[in-house]
Formats: sequence, structure tokens, C-alpha cells
Amino acid sequence: FSGSLAAALKIECIVEQTYGQWWQSLHRTMLRGVLGKTFRLIGYTIQYGCIAHCAFEYVGGVLMCSGPSMEPTIQNSDIVFAENLSRHFYGIQRGDIVIAKSPSDPKSNICKRVIGLEGDKILTNSPSDFFKSHSYVPTGHVWLEGDNLQNSTDSRYYGPIPYGLIRGRIF
Amino acid sequence: MLRGVLGKTFRLIGYTIQYGCIAHCAFEYVGGVLMCSGPSMEPTIQNSDIVFAENLSRHFYGIQRGDIVIAKSPSDPKSNICKRVIGLEGDKILTNSPSDFFKSHSYVPTGHVWLEGDNLQNSTDSRYYGPIPYGLIRGRIFFKIWPLSDFGFLRDSPNGHRFSDD
Repeated sequence: FSGSLAAALKIECIVEQTYGQWWQSLHRTMLRGVLGKTFRLIGYTIQYGCIAHCAFEYVGGVLMCSGPSMEPTIQNSDIVFAENLSRHFYGIQRGDIVIAKSPSDPKSNICKRVIGLEGDKILTNSPSDFFKSHSYVPTGHVWLEGDNLQNSTDSRYYGPIPYGLIRGRIF
Repeated sequence: MLRGVLGKTFRLIGYTIQYGCIAHCAFEYVGGVLMCSGPSMEPTIQNSDIVFAENLSRHFYGIQRGDIVIAKSPSDPKSNICKRVIGLEGDKILTNSPSDFFKSHSYVPTGHVWLEGDNLQNSTDSRYYGPIPYGLIRGRIFFKIWPLSDFGFLRDSPNGHRFSDD
């Protein structure tokens, strides 16, 4: 009886050993496989994230404008397509609608029409003033105004903004 | 043969675009090496020094007083300027020259920063064109690479009296 018990124990020991080795090797390859897969996934994500980012920055993208300052041309919550090539080739012209970083809040964007480029003379008084006053747009700046003049904070409020803040042109 | 050449060309273009985009994003979001020219930041940065700039602070809005930043020039969108941040939004800035009798000051508007070069006599900066919007800042310079005699982190401003915190 003790002999068969010893034999059973021995067999059990061998089975456990083999099983343990098999599990270890599986574990090692599985871990390496999982690690490899994770790194590949991260690599692909970074790759395509970069390409998408560059596409949005250099070519254009779809975005949603909110706010009443460009009515009736752009209503609240309209979806528009913006292109960013004009900015890089300095092709923004008078009358274009541009999207720019807000000068008073770097985290948000504003969406206005270009009324004047550098060197242009801008009338800065409201129609009710008696005397007309005007100013010149300094070099490297643009003068923006919303289409909805009564309800728009634009360059009449914060002055001309540097061209460097413009991000794209809505068309 | 034409199809093979065409296929190879497309693959080459594809790889170029891929790695170009990754390099561009690395430069924009992490940092890069660039060369500063001009005398407006002497003695901290001499003409034709090579420095290392990081762009993370800009995105996390971590630019502080005393940092040297690189920004797009407000008078010329094609060029960059390299100055020290003297005041953040809301700070009071002394805007007169030391020879004036009466002190005059102004406040930096929200979303703007006040920049000045270290070489006050020879620097066109915010004393000339006013505060610039934060959105023009592109990165923060924190390390000088060349010349090797001046290798290391950048010194503090020699014009400490310009920082007023009240």
C-alpha cells in the first residue's frame, strides 16, 4: 500500500512539475506577446494620431461654430469646413471668414470676418458719433468683425489681432 | 515595370509623409533645437547660440514670469522672437524709462504677456509693441547647447528690478 502511495505521489510530482514548466513557458510567451502587442498598438496610435493632427493643421477640418456674432452668415451650432492652407501661404484676404485663437482667452477660438489687413484704414466709430474717427491696422495684424455687428465682440472691442493667431479659413 | 516603379514611389511618399508628420508633432508638442540670432537677449543668449526649447509648458499653460520664450512676432508673422516673460495677465508693468520723472504703469490684459529682452538698450519688445497674446507663444527655452563654454541651463534675468508683483 505504501509503495503504491509513494508511486502515486511520484507520478503526481512529475505531473505537477511538467504542468508548472508548461505554465511558466506559456506565461513568458504570453506576457511577451501581450507586451509586444501593447507597444505595437501604442506605436500605431501615435503614428496615426500624428498624421491626423498634421492633416487637421495643414489641410483643414470640420468644426462647429457657436454664438450669434456671425448671423446671418453662420447661425449658432452650424457645422463648417475650414481649410488651413491659406494661413500658411499668407493668402487670407479681406472678406474671408477666419477662425483664430482668441486674444483674451488662449484656450478658445473665435470665428469672424476679416475687415482689414495691415495698413488698411478702419472706421472705428459707431454710426451715432458725430465725428468720424479712423485708425490704421498695424503691420502683421488684421482687423476682425462679426457679421452681426450689434452682438459681436471683435476688433472694435479688443483691437486688431496679430496675424499669427489665425488658424484657418472657413469656406 | 511601370507599375513597380509607381508602387515604389507611392510607398516612398507614404513613408515620407508618415515620418514627416511624426517629426512635426514631436517638434510641436515636445520640443526642438533652434538657433537664436540678434543682440536683444545678451548676456544670457548671445548671437548665433543654439538652444533647446520645449513646447509642453505652452500647452499646459505653465509659462511663468522669468521664463525665456520663443513666440511668433506680432509685427511679422513669418519670424519668431525670443524674449523673457516679465509679466503675465493682470500684472502691473512699469512702462517708463528710468529717465522719466513720473513713473507710469499699465496692466497686462487677460490672455496676454509682457515680454522684454535682457539687453534692455537694444531690444524691440513689449515696450515697443505692447503686450502680446498668449496664443503667439510657441515654446520655452530652458537649455543652451552651443557654445560649449556656456553649456547648461539659462541664467536668471539680470534685470530683476523689472519684476513687480503688486
